[in-house]
Amino acid sequence: MDRRLVDWIWFGTLWVLLTAVGEFLVLGLDLLPARWSAEADVVDDAYILLMALAVPIFAGVAAALFVSLVRFRVQVDGIPTEDGPPVHTNRRVVRLWLASTLMLALMVTVNPGFIGLAELRGEPSADLVVEVQAQRWSWKVTYPDGAETWNQLYLPADQRVRFDITSLDILHSFWIPAFRVKLDAVPGRTTSLYVTPEGIGSFDDDFNLRVQCAEICGLGHSNMAMPVTVLEADEFDAWLNDLAEGA
Amino acid sequence: MRQLLRAVIFGIVGYLTGAMLTWLVRGGSLGDEVCVVFGYVVGLVGWLFGIGMGDTWVREWFGRPAREQEEIGWKRYLGFSTDHKVIGIQYMATFLVVLLLGGVAAMVMRIELAQAGEGILSADRYNQVMSMHGILMIAVAVAAILGSFGNYLVPIMIGADDMAFPRLNAVTFWLIPPVAIGLLAAPTLGSFDTGWTAYPPLSVINNSGQILFVLAVTTFGLSSILGGLNVVTTIVTMRAPGMTWGRLPIFVWAAFSASVLSLLVTQFFAASLILIAMDRVAGTVFFDGGAGGDPLLYQHLFWFYSHPAVYVMVLPGFGVVLEVITHMARKPLFAYRAAVVSLLTIAGMSVIVWAHHMFTSGMAGYLHGPFMFATEMISVPTGVIFLSAVATLWQGRLWVKTPLLFAMIWVFQFLMGGVTGIFLADVATDVQLHDTYFVVAHFHYTIMGGMLFAFLAGIFFWFPKITGRMINDRLGIVFALWLTVSFQLTFLPQFWLGTNGMNRRIADYPEQLEGANMFSSMSAFLLGGSFLLLVYILISGARRGPVAGDNPWNASTLEWQVSSPPPGHNFPGQPRILEHPYRYGTAGSRHAEMVGVASTHEETVPGTGVREGGDNG
Repeated sequence: MDRRLVDWIWFGTLWVLLTAVGEFLVLGLDLLPARWSAEADVVDDAYILLMALAVPIFAGVAAALFVSLVRFRVQVDGIPTEDGPPVHTNRRVVRLWLASTLMLALMVTVNPGFIGLAELRGEPSADLVVEVQAQRWSWKVTYPDGAETWNQLYLPADQRVRFDITSLDILHSFWIPAFRVKLDAVPGRTTSLYVTPEGIGSFDDDFNLRVQCAEICGLGHSNMAMPVTVLEADEFDAWLNDLAEGA
Repeated sequence: MRQLLRAVIFGIVGYLTGAMLTWLVRGGSLGDEVCVVFGYVVGLVGWLFGIGMGDTWVREWFGRPAREQEEIGWKRYLGFSTDHKVIGIQYMATFLVVLLLGGVAAMVMRIELAQAGEGILSADRYNQVMSMHGILMIAVAVAAILGSFGNYLVPIMIGADDMAFPRLNAVTFWLIPPVAIGLLAAPTLGSFDTGWTAYPPLSVINNSGQILFVLAVTTFGLSSILGGLNVVTTIVTMRAPGMTWGRLPIFVWAAFSASVLSLLVTQFFAASLILIAMDRVAGTVFFDGGAGGDPLLYQHLFWFYSHPAVYVMVLPGFGVVLEVITHMARKPLFAYRAAVVSLLTIAGMSVIVWAHHMFTSGMAGYLHGPFMFATEMISVPTGVIFLSAVATLWQGRLWVKTPLLFAMIWVFQFLMGGVTGIFLADVATDVQLHDTYFVVAHFHYTIMGGMLFAFLAGIFFWFPKITGRMINDRLGIVFALWLTVSFQLTFLPQFWLGTNGMNRRIADYPEQLEGANMFSSMSAFLLGGSFLLLVYILISGARRGPVAGDNPWNASTLEWQVSSPPPGHNFPGQPRILEHPYRYGTAGSRHAEMVGVASTHEETVPGTGVREGGDNG
């Protein structure tokens, strides 16, 4: 058989094999933490789609490198005297490559890019508005009727919540890993973030149900976190009533 | 040596003069930031005059002959030398040392992070060590390849006897030691703890060490701009007869693209840092949200430089890798023109993608889409570089020595960095991944993978040219594999950590993440250890390696046609360029006609399609 054909067969086999293994790992293993919000589904779906697309690209280059290393290696003592074939370029290959990478980039930009962005942003309407004020190194949460908590965040399940985030001093970032959302707290402006919690649980169930400061803010940055508790809507109302009366 | 001593004295005297004068005028204390600023500026000027800037330029301005007192032997490397080869080696040695210092800081961080809770460092101290690691490594990434190979190789590769502005070149290098001193002296003023990004308002209100960060990094920016100017001018004006733009070696193109970028965008970083210095010492409120300023303004200015800076780091790396691959696969560089266009396109597009660092910053929502789109598009020209690398290897005659191994590993590493970059360019995934360990792992793959691995490929490839001696190849391969394996073990778990709730720049984390962190730390120590082997390889190679000869790789470009190391002013006579550099496999091809030296590029035979042991039937 033509030796060059054998090279390609090697490459094709390895590519398919690596892709299969990679896709199995990406789609089969659950590498992502538990989802606690509607937005988490959008983010994780985008993540998994990108992983699934990345695998064949990665496998292709890895396979080409490996086949080259094994098949095209020459062993000589001293200086090699034989050169490879004088191929300077191949217009068709370059064009095909450009077209396919451009297609892929556009595809990814549209989905999950623009589509994910639109889904994540959603309608600017909320069932509940919660004000969050960050300061070194704690969080103050204010609910609609003026009731406040410090370093505790309670939310009702299945309701769309808007966080109005401010900072008293320097930059902080409001991140809830279990919800897959993050937004900076910027002194001098109010930033807004929408999220719809799903499922009933608290920090004790999942350590990612926490608000973690994700923008370096000095000494207490690592521990600038507050637990998040998601309650049934009526339980949340009861909790909020108690809080307002106690205040 | 005398120059260096004089520079140190002038520097100290300058610092004291500046600081004291300021103190006399305004009172207060000598440790006040205003005094530090003026002290530093006068000290910097003193340092430059001490090292020898005044002996050439300033004397000529006053109509007196320049005093060029270049020392000989190893002392040249400690003085004001205008020889581009000396400066290249100065850069290389300096940044290898800075690399090791930054590496020590990384090891300290990984000791702290091996376990949850407070370990050997307080939270404060951790932030400082992390910030120091960041800025030292950023400096290495920006200047190591361009400074060392850009200086050493670009003039030789284009057939010139030196850079366009040799004295400016020396000044460019001698601006670096004050940068290192400024950064390393920061702990005396309470250090800086903002990470290398220095976001205000934190960077306006923290310890006074931040002002030294601002001064040092601004100086570094000046050095970067001057270096870029010099490389661009050299390539535009100093090419040998026959060295048309279409015949430039790919590394020269890469150095050109990166230098254009550093010439044109570094100012924005310097400007944003100077605004921070003004906010700190002059009472302005550029970044004070409460007083009409805006912290986001800084982020826009900062990333307008700092994203292109990523390409200032990796474009020269692309050049090194493609150069090594074409010579050591003994095959013409595939799609040379497309690769050149890609390098320039990447440089151009890199200035319109910056806000993808700011998807969660609270900037206006309508900016998300365009910056996501632009960022995804930059993967197209980058993809051409991969095509060029892989297609050059395909059907080549691979001479698998350490440089080629590093170049091939580079392809793998940078691909990993590029693919994970898509997750950060995509808004939907970035809102979760931004500022987490996913980003940390990603930029270690792109910058350490894309720049450092290329730097190592280059060191192993051009070591025989620079020192005249060969490196122990077997040890080199052991080093390459050791580094690569420990690199994966260190950084792969960090992707998982990032998706699973560990944000970056923290001294402490939830204990549920301890296992992966411990694993990453152990691997990091393994990774750090590999650099001891590198130091041994380099030192033993330079002292006792077998003599290399002029052209140990039988390569075609100009630097291999002269002696190792090349003579002063590089060529005994003006070389004439006859054709494209990478004509491997074409009988009778010759890149250049040398004058005064015999060509060392041995006639090679075109590939017959038959390899040894081949079964061509």
